[in-house]
Amino acid sequence: MTPYFHKEPVLTLEGVSMSYQGEVVLRDISAQVLNVVRPNMTQGQVVGFYGRSGIGKSVLCRIIAGLTAPATGTVRVGEEQHPVQPGDVGLVQQRYPLFNHRTLADNLLLAAARKHEPEAAKREVAAYLERFRLDQHGKKFPAQLSGGQRQRAAIAQQLLCSDHLILLDEPFSGLDVAMIDEVKKIILEVTTMDELNTVVIVSHDIATTTALSDTLWLMGYERDTAGQLLPGATISKNHQYDLAGMGLAWHPNVEAEPEFNRFVEQLKDEIRAA
Amino acid sequence: MKELFAPNAQPSRPVFATMVGAQLLVLVLLWAFYPLQLFPSLGDVLRALSDLVTSQGLIQELWASMTTALQALTIGTALALAISYLTALPFFRPIAYAATKMRYLTLTGLTFFMALLLSTGHQVKLSVLVFATTVYLVTGMTSVILTTTREEMDHARTLGLGEWRSFWEVVVLGKLDLMLEVVRQNFAIIWTMITLVETLYQSEGGIGLLLYKQNRYLHLDGVLAIQLVILATGAAQDYVFGLLRRVFFPHAALTAAS
Repeated sequence: MTPYFHKEPVLTLEGVSMSYQGEVVLRDISAQVLNVVRPNMTQGQVVGFYGRSGIGKSVLCRIIAGLTAPATGTVRVGEEQHPVQPGDVGLVQQRYPLFNHRTLADNLLLAAARKHEPEAAKREVAAYLERFRLDQHGKKFPAQLSGGQRQRAAIAQQLLCSDHLILLDEPFSGLDVAMIDEVKKIILEVTTMDELNTVVIVSHDIATTTALSDTLWLMGYERDTAGQLLPGATISKNHQYDLAGMGLAWHPNVEAEPEFNRFVEQLKDEIRAA
Repeated sequence: MKELFAPNAQPSRPVFATMVGAQLLVLVLLWAFYPLQLFPSLGDVLRALSDLVTSQGLIQELWASMTTALQALTIGTALALAISYLTALPFFRPIAYAATKMRYLTLTGLTFFMALLLSTGHQVKLSVLVFATTVYLVTGMTSVILTTTREEMDHARTLGLGEWRSFWEVVVLGKLDLMLEVVRQNFAIIWTMITLVETLYQSEGGIGLLLYKQNRYLHLDGVLAIQLVILATGAAQDYVFGLLRRVFFPHAALTAAS
């Protein structure tokens, strides 16, 4: 097994609950993402976050991104573990929104200007355009970009201004095999850019998400001792998997390994049973 | 040829241009050779147009109306933009809502009140046009603002832009091209109103007054000539607005095409 150890927390959810019009959507979610350190390597972490449709994944995403305040509980981010504010956590939404009235370079510059002086921001943008293989497209408007280019641009934009933590909402949805491989590459690229870079993948694609992640969160409903479903989805301790500890992370072709497939099948069974 | 009658077909540019040219030619030929009993012939209309230009100052009257229309449009657009953008603040939403409903007020009744409040005919004319333009523009502009999605605003917020800056980026800058489109569409309304207002305040002339006189003396050829001039002016205006949109908002055409 690859040697690794955990250091400081990069994301902490403490007793997060949310209700809408009296209906409990999320219930008492507590989870933490720690900085995973691998000797002689600079690599951030990937957290897979799986939940069935309509369970409240998007609500939790908005809470983690600081766009909605939870009814109870807190979300803390960064090295100082301060309460999350909008802009602390990048959120790449499903349709990769960009400002359509700005060129790609201007879109990135707007994000970079949050952390850098104008000249430094321009240098950062040029570096990101090159790193994300978009340097030929800086003067194009978002409507002129392909789906893949747009996705890379949206990720680059969020990375330029967030504090290492980025949420990808359904990044594999509606993509073909080649495009899924492309997205995987981007995610790995992002995690290797900085030790603290943390990508949270919110997805329906449990196999692909698990294959990429060091940690997996399974969101679902719990039952009380009498067997009755409790209102509101949660991520129980039993459903927070340390895939690195299980020997299922950082393998180049983990999806071909029998242990991985057994684990995915076990997860599917749990989801069906819930 | 078949594609011209196929649903959702995209004929080539030359084919489409030829089709439009042919349709216009048929229309002109029908008008020239088969005049309806009550409808003036093409020759009569052209003669009336020549007479209106040479002896009745059609061009000057058109210019007078156009400057008034542009003045009203400029003031109305500024007011409507202010009212619409202020809907970001809940306090101003009832004002915008009330403004949209004022479309139903009649111009004649409004003119009476304006006449009591203002001293000159020009002021009355302009204020009525500004009022009417503003209420129509506010209706269109608030509809554009309402198309803003949570996804768009969330995107701006995740970049650390504050609420006002997000509003500026997403709603103001992001939808400026659509606002220009609303202005273009509503400019036509000014032309329908200006002819009415000019007949109520005749001291400054204008194409509306000229039209009124032609109507009054049953000069149908003159009426039609003026209507065609207004139509051509409107088409030219539409073209200019389209040009402005292409020059200042090149992304708009891309988004529409995609």
